Order: sequence, then structure tokens, then C-alpha cells
Amino acid sequence: MYLYIYDTFLSDKKYYSLLNKIENRLADLEIKGKVCRLNILKNMKEVVEDGIKQGVDTVVAVGNDLTFSKIVNIIAELNVTLGIIPVTKSKIAEILGVPEGEAACDTLAQRLIQKIDLGKISNQYFIDSATIDDTNVILSFDKFQISSIAKNALVTICNLGFLADNQSIYKERLSVPTDGLLEAVIAPIKATLFSKKIKQQSIFPFTKIKLDSKAEPVTVTIDQQAVFKTPLEVTVAPKKLKVVVGSKRLF
Amino acid sequence: MFKDEPGKQIKNAETIIGPSVKVEGDFVGDGNVIVEGIVVGNLKTKNHLTIGAEAKVNAEIEANSAYISGEVTGNLTVVGDVELTASARIKGDISASSIAIERGAQVNGRLNMNGAKKPELTEKHENKK
Repeated sequence: MYLYIYDTFLSDKKYYSLLNKIENRLADLEIKGKVCRLNILKNMKEVVEDGIKQGVDTVVAVGNDLTFSKIVNIIAELNVTLGIIPVTKSKIAEILGVPEGEAACDTLAQRLIQKIDLGKISNQYFIDSATIDDTNVILSFDKFQISSIAKNALVTICNLGFLADNQSIYKERLSVPTDGLLEAVIAPIKATLFSKKIKQQSIFPFTKIKLDSKAEPVTVTIDQQAVFKTPLEVTVAPKKLKVVVGSKRLF
Repeated sequence: MFKDEPGKQIKNAETIIGPSVKVEGDFVGDGNVIVEGIVVGNLKTKNHLTIGAEAKVNAEIEANSAYISGEVTGNLTVVGDVELTASARIKGDISASSIAIERGAQVNGRLNMNGAKKPELTEKHENKK
């Protein structure tokens, strides 16, 4: 049984037509299920837990990257499969090979399921990445430490991939969300008058690291939503999430 | 032989220590490693090691094979082949099965071409533990 969760921003009129098309396509494919539209009073966690009590085995998040990140954290510990229908351009959907809008329904109907890794920071799971916009951060591995010597650098702990527009990293298998490893990526940024250029990155695969700082605690942002302060421990939760993927996935 | 090794640069590289990064401690890797930054301590990999022209490595190195263009202070123990390009600066002993040195490279240390055998590497590693 399917449970479709529509994110709050989809109550905007401009999405009505697209949502109608999606619902019609789901009906054609005979994978219609319970629909739940989130609002201020309806909490995503409660909706998912109620659905599971009623026998839901596939939770489909309809929304954007933020919607998918939020739901991952809720269903990571539950025995359900995640499906996604992106209504806008989505990095997560692109990596998982799920097309935007109505076409995502066909991918969902194919039910090609993969178990992917998740990252974990202080009981909070993340599907995409944790970012640290401060070069004072120190990454401590088992027996060695890494620090940035650049003035400006973006430190990212990646699961799905660190550059969606650079697909060579998937072809070369530098970043695979099924390998049981996360990657710590340090990208020095050279700011010019008109743009910011990313110079050669450093990449360190790992299963567990500690994040600390040289001075004041630094801020770690998970999937652009939750914020933590160092010191922290980051671990990988291998094959934690069952997710419906498309045949055009990047890994 | 001493041209850039594009095939090995990114392909199958699992760890890349970029030019803006400093690594301190005992770095142990299973896959190919590319060093373009600073390493202080020990550097071990069971696969190929590439040390770029701008890299500064102050470490005891163990690898399966190595291609060195940068500055290394410390002993280098390699199971297979070592290639030193013109910009390589080595202060330390090199032990490998074969060593190729380009004109211009500086080596201050002993060269041993008996090769470093894999079991010895492992034993040494275990003894340290």
C-alpha cells in the first residue's frame, strides 16, 4: 500500500495542474494510495507513523530536495520503502534517476528498489550531505587528522555525491551511495570579482570521523535543514534506506 | 614514461589530498592515493601512490607502486615500481623492485632494488600495532 505525502508548498495554486496530472498517471498505473497534504497542523512524522499502522509499505514524498531530506530522517528506522516524485529540479532525484513531475510515476511503478547508505550525525540521518562553511574545522580520522590550509574552503561530508553537475565522479565510481562509505570533500574556493571558482578538491572516503575546530565551534548543516555545532561524530549507516530508483541513476 | 599520468590521475583514485589540505598522523589507505598537499607522519597504501609536483611529504611511505613529482622527506618502501620525475626531490632511502629516475630529479639517500615484499610490509605493519 502506498502513502503519498505532499509537502506544504504544494498547496500553492500553481502546482494544482501538475498534481492533477500526477494523480491521473498514478491511477492509470494502478498505484494510487492514500494521499496526505501537509500543512501547519499536520506533522510529517505523525502522518508516516499513522500510515504504517494502517499497513503502508511504500511512502512516496512529493516535493523537492528538502521534502526528501526531511522524510528520510523519519523513515530511516522504519521498515518502509521510499519513493520520490520531484515537482521541481532536484539533485537527489537526478542522482537516483527519477525524472521530474509526471514521468516520476512511471519510475515508481517499475519498483526498482536499491538499499542505499545514509550518513548519521547525533541520531540525525542525512541522505545528501553535511556542509561546513568554515576552514577552522578539523577532521579527525582513526589515526590521522586533516585541516584546510586555504583561506576559503567548503568542507562537505557527502553520501549521494558532491557535484551533481560533474557526473564523472559517478562514472569513475568516486562516490557511490551503496559502497558503505561517506566522503569528506574539501573544496578550496577562489573568489574572483564576478564568480567563485572551486579549485582541486580533496577527497577522503571514511566510515567514521570526528569533527572539531581549531577555535570556536563551527556550524554543521545537514541536508540544508538541521544545524549542529562541533564537536561531532559522523558515521555511515550502510544500506539503511530502501528507495525506488530509476534506470538512469548515476551510480 | 615521465609525462603526466592521466589514466591514473582520477580514475580509481579513492583518496585525493588536494593542494589546500594538510594531513597529520598515520594515513593508511586501501585504494589509490593522490597527494597534492602536505602530509606529515606516515603514508601507507596497498595500491598506487601519486605525489604531485606541489606536494610536500614529510613521512615514511609504503605503497604498491609510486609516481613522484614532489618533495619527499622520509624513506620510501615500494613493492613494485617507482617513477621519479624531473621535479622530484627525495631525502631518504628508496626500496623498490624497479626505479626510473628522470634527468633533473634529486635523490639524497640509498637506493635498494631488491624490492619490498608484501608479506614483510604486513609483518612490519602488524608489529607496529
